[in-house]
Amino acid sequence: MVAQVLDGDAEAFGIIIRRYEPGLLRFAARMLGSADAAADAVAESLVRAYRHLAQCRDPEHLKSWLYRITGNRCRSHIGRRHMSDIALDDAPPLADPVDTWAVLERSEQVALVERALAALQPEKREAFVLKHVEGLSYEEMADVTGARIPTLKMRVHRAREALLVALKELV
Amino acid sequence: MTVIDPRLQEALDGERDPAALPAELREAYARLTAAAALLRDPPATSVADRVMAEIRREAPARRPANWLLRPVTFRLRPVWTLAVAAAVAAVVFLPFRESATPGAEEGVAQFVGHFPGARSVEVVGSFNDWQRGALALRDEDHDGIWHGAVVLPAGQHEYMFVVDGERWVADPLAGRYVDDGFGAGQQNALLIVRP
Repeated sequence: MVAQVLDGDAEAFGIIIRRYEPGLLRFAARMLGSADAAADAVAESLVRAYRHLAQCRDPEHLKSWLYRITGNRCRSHIGRRHMSDIALDDAPPLADPVDTWAVLERSEQVALVERALAALQPEKREAFVLKHVEGLSYEEMADVTGARIPTLKMRVHRAREALLVALKELV
Repeated sequence: MTVIDPRLQEALDGERDPAALPAELREAYARLTAAAALLRDPPATSVADRVMAEIRREAPARRPANWLLRPVTFRLRPVWTLAVAAAVAAVVFLPFRESATPGAEEGVAQFVGHFPGARSVEVVGSFNDWQRGALALRDEDHDGIWHGAVVLPAGQHEYMFVVDGERWVADPLAGRYVDDGFGAGQQNALLIVRP
């Protein structure tokens, strides 16, 4: 698919987008705490990836490469504003009259976890999301972040400790 | 901050069976995995249309003009065939060719790397769109010193060695390096070719 795009078939990039977009959007949303900011970051990252696709040195690592570009874009978004300024989608969505109690309870739980995640330092948040939300291996995470595996393990461990304290209310 | 039991960390890293954890650690394990599951909801939005619109605006610059793609038939006398083939090859391989005499705006770039035990070493760079297979280095006497030379346009070129088809290595002897532009602190070697 990468070769097809490099040969001039821009439409083939749509297949790459469809395959990786859901994970990238989820990753960016968890990093930035806002679906709108995540959409901007992922759109910018995918356009950048298209422009520099020839530099994706190993198409087998395309997934890690896309996460790396998106992670960098998220970091620069975070760098431009303080965490307190982040418009977290943290308020539970307004309950629709047809919402069941279970749905409402679940949205409150999601909000609780999102708040706990947002309180982590960005590199710990990134490590936890890549490991436990996106399901990457430590090797893939090293590819994405450029950090060493022991460093990443330490970040994930610290993130778990902080979340466990913050999530005492989570049933 | 409370340091959590290493057995719980191992279970969360997939290195220990969570069912074998003591009850209080099983409860903590369940709480963390439940939290991660709550964060896994698929996103409701898509940026595909927006990205493709931007790409389609840029795409014509990448695509060769249609007249270049249209097949053209020439009739040649057999005696001219070889001469035409040689001329076409000279034009096609002009920007990147091995072991040839450089033109006025070109120079010879020599690559040398010490990779004992390597089965193959090749050079990829900005001059060949980072495509593998265009410039393989040689180690005729099997002493681990791989070398090759190529004619390149004068100017700056970024490059990397690819060892055994999978390991990307910035030339340790390059002397100059530039960030690869993807923010992970990785660098490409930089080569300056003088005419």
